Amino acid sequence: MKRVAYSFPEEVLEHVFSFIESDTDRGSISLVCKSWYEIERWCRRRVFVGNCYAVSPLMVIKRFPKVRSITLKGKPHFADFNLVPEGWGGYVCPWIKAMAVAYPCLQEIRLKRMVITDDCLDLIAKSFKNFTVLVLTSCEGFTTDGLAAIAANCRNLRELDLRESEVDDICGHWLSHFPDSYTSLVSLNISCLASEVNLHGLERLVSRCPNLQTLRLSRAFPLDRLANLLRGAPQLVELGTGAYTTEMQPEVFSNLVTAFSGCKQLKGLSGFWDVLPSYLPAVYPVCSRLTSLNLSYATIQSTDLIKLVGQCESLQRLWVLDYIEDAGLDMLAASCKDLRELRVFPSDPFGLDPNVALTEQGLVSVSEGCPKLHSVLYFCRQMSNAALNTIARNRPNMTRFRLCIIEPRTPDYLTLQPLDAGFGAIVEHCKNLQRLSLSGLLTDRVFEYIGTYGKKLEMLSVAFAGDSDLGLHHVLSGCDNLRKLEIRDCPFGDKALLANAAKLETMRSLWMSSCYVSYGACKLLGQKLPRLNVEVIDERGPPDSRPESSPVEKLYIYRTISGPRSDMPGYVWTMEDDSAYVE
Amino acid sequence: MGTLEQQIDAYQTQSSSSSSSSIDSNNYPSSLCLSTLCRKRTDNLSTDLRLGLSISPPSSSHQSQLPFISTTPREEAFDWPPIKSTLRTTLVEKQSNFQSQKPSLFVKVYMEGIPIGRKLNLLAHHSYDGLVKALCHMFRTIILCPNSQPLNPRNFHVLTYEDQEGDWMMVGDVPWEMFLSSVKRLKITRANSC
Repeated sequence: MKRVAYSFPEEVLEHVFSFIESDTDRGSISLVCKSWYEIERWCRRRVFVGNCYAVSPLMVIKRFPKVRSITLKGKPHFADFNLVPEGWGGYVCPWIKAMAVAYPCLQEIRLKRMVITDDCLDLIAKSFKNFTVLVLTSCEGFTTDGLAAIAANCRNLRELDLRESEVDDICGHWLSHFPDSYTSLVSLNISCLASEVNLHGLERLVSRCPNLQTLRLSRAFPLDRLANLLRGAPQLVELGTGAYTTEMQPEVFSNLVTAFSGCKQLKGLSGFWDVLPSYLPAVYPVCSRLTSLNLSYATIQSTDLIKLVGQCESLQRLWVLDYIEDAGLDMLAASCKDLRELRVFPSDPFGLDPNVALTEQGLVSVSEGCPKLHSVLYFCRQMSNAALNTIARNRPNMTRFRLCIIEPRTPDYLTLQPLDAGFGAIVEHCKNLQRLSLSGLLTDRVFEYIGTYGKKLEMLSVAFAGDSDLGLHHVLSGCDNLRKLEIRDCPFGDKALLANAAKLETMRSLWMSSCYVSYGACKLLGQKLPRLNVEVIDERGPPDSRPESSPVEKLYIYRTISGPRSDMPGYVWTMEDDSAYVE
Repeated sequence: MGTLEQQIDAYQTQSSSSSSSSIDSNNYPSSLCLSTLCRKRTDNLSTDLRLGLSISPPSSSHQSQLPFISTTPREEAFDWPPIKSTLRTTLVEKQSNFQSQKPSLFVKVYMEGIPIGRKLNLLAHHSYDGLVKALCHMFRTIILCPNSQPLNPRNFHVLTYEDQEGDWMMVGDVPWEMFLSSVKRLKITRANSC
C-alpha cells in the first residue's frame, strides 16, 4: 500500500483510534480507506457480535487478531418468553475453542442467551492467562462444576456475573475453589443459583476482596447472615440481598440497621425475595443515596412499597411489581425527580381480573412528575389513547417504551377504539425512540405511524396486532434504522415480506411466529438473498410435507456472512441458496 | 419460480420508488382464511404488482383468523404475557403459596419444667377447646379446659398467656378472637402453682 505523504504515521492513528469506544464509530473508521481499515483492525481490542451466527469465529479472528474483550449474543430475544423451543442452538463452544488458540490474551467474555458447557468453562479457565471478566446473561448448559473451574484458575478474575442464567446447581461448594490468595473480585452476581450457599466460603471470599463493589446474592442466602457479610464489605456499591425474611428476632434487625448504616457507598439494592415488610426499615439508612432499586421479587403490598420508595429520593431506576399501584406511582412522581427508568411488572399475570389498583394513570403521573424518565416497561390492564398521548407529550425524551396490556387486543377502555392514535403519538413525539413494544387493539394504521415517524427505531416488538400485510410493509419500508423486529400472532404474510426482502439485509434479525408467512415465501427468500439465513422452525415436522402455501410456525431470518449454520436441531430448516439458481 | 423472483424485484422497485405505497387491503382482507389468501396472492401476483395502495379502515372484526390461534387457556400459556422465566417462576410460586398457605400466627409455647419451647400456629385452631387438645397432644399432658371444673387440680395443668402489656393471664377469660389479638406467648403451668 502506498503511503500518502501527508498521512499520519500508523502509531499516531492507532493512538487516536484508541480513544474511540463506540463499535459503530470504529466500524465507520474502518470504512474510510484501506489503510484505516488495516490500522483499525490491528488495534481493535473489543468486539461485539450481536448474533453468533452472523459471522464465524475464524472470520472475527482473522480480521481482529488482537481482541481482549468479546461480547456474543445467541438466541433470539423471544427466547426470554419461551417462544424458542429447547435446543435451538446458540452454542458458544466453537467460539471458545477458536479463541483459546487465537487470543491467549483474551480477558473478557460476555455472553447473552447462549449455551455454554462445563468443558467450555474449563477451557476458558485454562486458556486465558489473564482472564478478568465472565458475564453470562440468560445462559444455560453449565453447572457449578464449571464455575468451580473458573474460580480455581482465574487468579485475576474481577467480574463473575450469572444474571438470569439457568445453572444446573450441583452444590454451593464451588465458591470455596477461589484460592485463599485470591482477592481481585470486583463484581459477583450469583442471584440465579438455587442450591444452598456455602456461607462460610462466601463470607471469607467477600471479606478478603477489598475492591468488591457489586454483590448479588441468591435466594438461598439467609437474612440473618447478611449483616455479618456486609460488615466485611462496607465498600459495596450494589447489593442484591438473598431471602429477605427470617423469624422476627430483634437482634437480626438491629444488626442489619448497623450493617446497612456502615455501607456508605451503597447505590443499588435488589433481591428481597420473600420479603418480610417489618425488616425493610433496616435499609432506610441507605435509601436517600440509592439510585437503583429492583423490587421485582418483593411481593409486598402498596403501603409497604410506598414507605420504602418514599425514602429513596435519588432513584434513577426502579423495577417494581404492580403492587405499588397508582398511589405509589403518584408518590414516586412527586418525590423522585431524577427517575430515568421505570419497570412495573404484573404480580398476577395470569389472573383475568385486576388484583391491584394499577391503571394507566400511574404511568401518566410518572411521565408528568419525572422529567428525566426515558425508559419504560409497564404491564397494566387498561390503557387509553388519551393517556398515551399525554405520556408522549410529557416525555418527548423517551427512548425505550414498552407497554404490555395483559389481555391481548384490549381497546382503549374509554372509547373502545384501537390504540393506534396513542402509540402514534408516542412515535410522533418521541423523536429518539429506539425501542418500542406494542400491545392492545391495533390496526394497520399504527404501523403507518411507526413507519412515518419511527426513524430512529432500532427494535420493535409486536404481538396480536395489525390487519394485513400493509402493517408490516409500513414498518419495513419506513423504519430506516430498524435492526431487530419481532412479531408474533399477527396477520402479516408473504406480500409484505417479499416486497421488502432487501430491507432484511440491513437488519440484524426478523422473528415471526404464528403469522401468515408461507413455506414457499421462505424458500424464495432463502434463494434470492444468499446473505440471509432463513430458518423455518416447525415442530410439526418437515415443512415440505405440507403445501408450499402453508404457513410456517416460526420464522427467524438474520443476515450473515458465514452461511447457513450447521448446528440446527431437527425442527429447524434452513432455506438454502438453490444451486440451480444463478443470480 | 422465475415469475416470483421477478415479482420480488418488482415489489422492491415499487416499494422503494413510492414511499407512499400501501397494500390494498380491500384486495387482501384480513378476514380471509389462509388458503384463500394464498391462492388469491398467487393469482394476483402477475397482474397486481401495486403493493399497496391505501389504508382502508378495517372492514370487519380485528380478530384476524390466524393459522395458529392458541387454544391453550391463558393460565397455561407460557409465552404470554412476556415475562422472563425467573420472575414468572417467583410469581407462580408466590401465587400457589397464597392459595395453599392459610394465614398463620405462630406463638411460642413453654411448659413448666421443660427447658425447650415449642411453636404453634394459633390460626390453625378455631376455639380454646381445639387449642387445648393440640397442646395436650404436643406436651403429652392433661390441660384443664378453660371454664371447666377440675376434679383433682394436682394432676392437671392450666394454660396461661402473656398479653401485649406483658401480664400473664388465664387462657379462656376473653373471647377467642380477642385472645388472638392480644396473645404474645403461652405457658403451661401446674394448676396448683397458680
